[in-house]
Amino acid sequence: MKLNRRGFIKACGFMAGYTVLGLNMTKVAVAATMDFVGLRQKSVYDADAKIYKIRKSQDNPMIKKLYNREDGFLHEGPCGHMSHHLLHTHYVDRSSRVTALKEKGYKFNF
Amino acid sequence: MKPIEGVMTQTNAPRGIDPDSLFFVQVDATKCEACGTCEEHCATGAIQSINEEGIHQVVDPAACMNCGQCLVNCPYDAIYEGVSYVDEIFEKLKDPNTIVVSMPAPAVRYGLGECFGAPTGTYVGGQMHAALRQLGFNYIWDNEFTADVTIMEEGTELIQRVKEQGQKDARPLPQFTSCCPGWVKFAETFYPDLLPNMSSCKSPIGMLGPLAKTYGAEETHTPAQKIYTVSIMPCIAKKYEGMRPEMADSGFRDIDATIDTRELAYMIKTAGIDFNALPSQGPDPILGDSTGAATIFGNSGGVMEAALRLAYEVLSGQKLNNPDIKVVRTHEGINTADVKVPNFGTVKVAVASGLQNAAKLCDEVRAGKSPYHFIEIMTCPGGCVNGGGQPVDPEIRASLFRSTVAQINKRFRARRVGA
Repeated sequence: MKLNRRGFIKACGFMAGYTVLGLNMTKVAVAATMDFVGLRQKSVYDADAKIYKIRKSQDNPMIKKLYNREDGFLHEGPCGHMSHHLLHTHYVDRSSRVTALKEKGYKFNF
Repeated sequence: MKPIEGVMTQTNAPRGIDPDSLFFVQVDATKCEACGTCEEHCATGAIQSINEEGIHQVVDPAACMNCGQCLVNCPYDAIYEGVSYVDEIFEKLKDPNTIVVSMPAPAVRYGLGECFGAPTGTYVGGQMHAALRQLGFNYIWDNEFTADVTIMEEGTELIQRVKEQGQKDARPLPQFTSCCPGWVKFAETFYPDLLPNMSSCKSPIGMLGPLAKTYGAEETHTPAQKIYTVSIMPCIAKKYEGMRPEMADSGFRDIDATIDTRELAYMIKTAGIDFNALPSQGPDPILGDSTGAATIFGNSGGVMEAALRLAYEVLSGQKLNNPDIKVVRTHEGINTADVKVPNFGTVKVAVASGLQNAAKLCDEVRAGKSPYHFIEIMTCPGGCVNGGGQPVDPEIRASLFRSTVAQINKRFRARRVGA
């Protein structure tokens, strides 16, 4: 395709505009991504309100069975002995490797 | 490497390896157009330009939180996934001696349909359960059940922490949620001094793994050593979490394999299942049934709202008539709220998604100026529904406009480097 003079100037205009506005355009694109996320978020709240018959964790009959004071698997209740064994954890300080990288000259945001 | 829903993926099944040594996402240097989009979306700065041409790489796994926001926002499909268990799961599903258990996260059911042509966000929970059954999973257990368990455990922990303030050896406030594996690694890496503020509760999937191999095995009379648990997540960082060496409280590995929403769609397509023709089915009982409080875990602010639905009733002794606590629902940024609870007082909460926002709240806590009782953090903007393992927004790859802007930016930068 042959590009005529008018087309060439038009293309130059677009190029210049995009270069100058690049930053703002990126912001617009990020906002569009949030709309996409917004659609998924709305669907989640709609399902909570309309599809799920029970809406509080403590009202779930299978939760009541699990924590049943007499014969439930976690009969001591939440944060009991068995809960602490199976359902709770501990965390590890992982800062040393990033500190070592920073000392080598790498830059990170935090 | 093979393409899985538009994302190149290395299929391997690492076992017994320190997950800190693995790249869960990395840039394919031959595809990188040096546009820098990944760097804009990376909170920690782990992905950066490595040469004068502006080719990007994740420089070290230690600085990468494995969230995959770089991957889902790359306009050139240049970022690949480093770990995938799909081939191994297909083998286990065929093996009659293995009892394969499905454990899908809440947000998966709001993204999976998009891979089969449904509009963005379509709820496909029922078809998802049916598809898992057709794939040959022996038990259709659901991670939403343990989202409810998480509320019981984490809500109780919060109430305990509030009550023990002023006593000797009291655990500190605010309490941070610990459901999000990107956030957990972030706190461990950049704010280790705040680890006493982290809830000691495992995430829902961290709870379902060990419950499946103990309680589930007992209830279904299945030998626990035959159970193979498959965590299905909207998330790449969950692959890291599943490999944590401490996740072995059931006496076995609690989580044997982790895949994301895109990989589940790939498995359904590979098995030749007509997803859109599937009936809506429920999960299997015992570890399957869930509530609205569990499903909202997929959104930023969801764990907070679900926890408040419990805390309100426990602290006030009254029934919460309207379970909608809309003030904590968060689309982006930081959201704070004072929730008035009768017979107790005010519960001060904060919700943030995106690690830059998390850091602001962490700095407040570090300075001793945080007024909150409970803080929810999600790594991905908007929460798990926007996770790094969800189907990619078609706009990002399809938009000629966006990629044109990126290309011009690239030329602009290249010229600047040369000058």
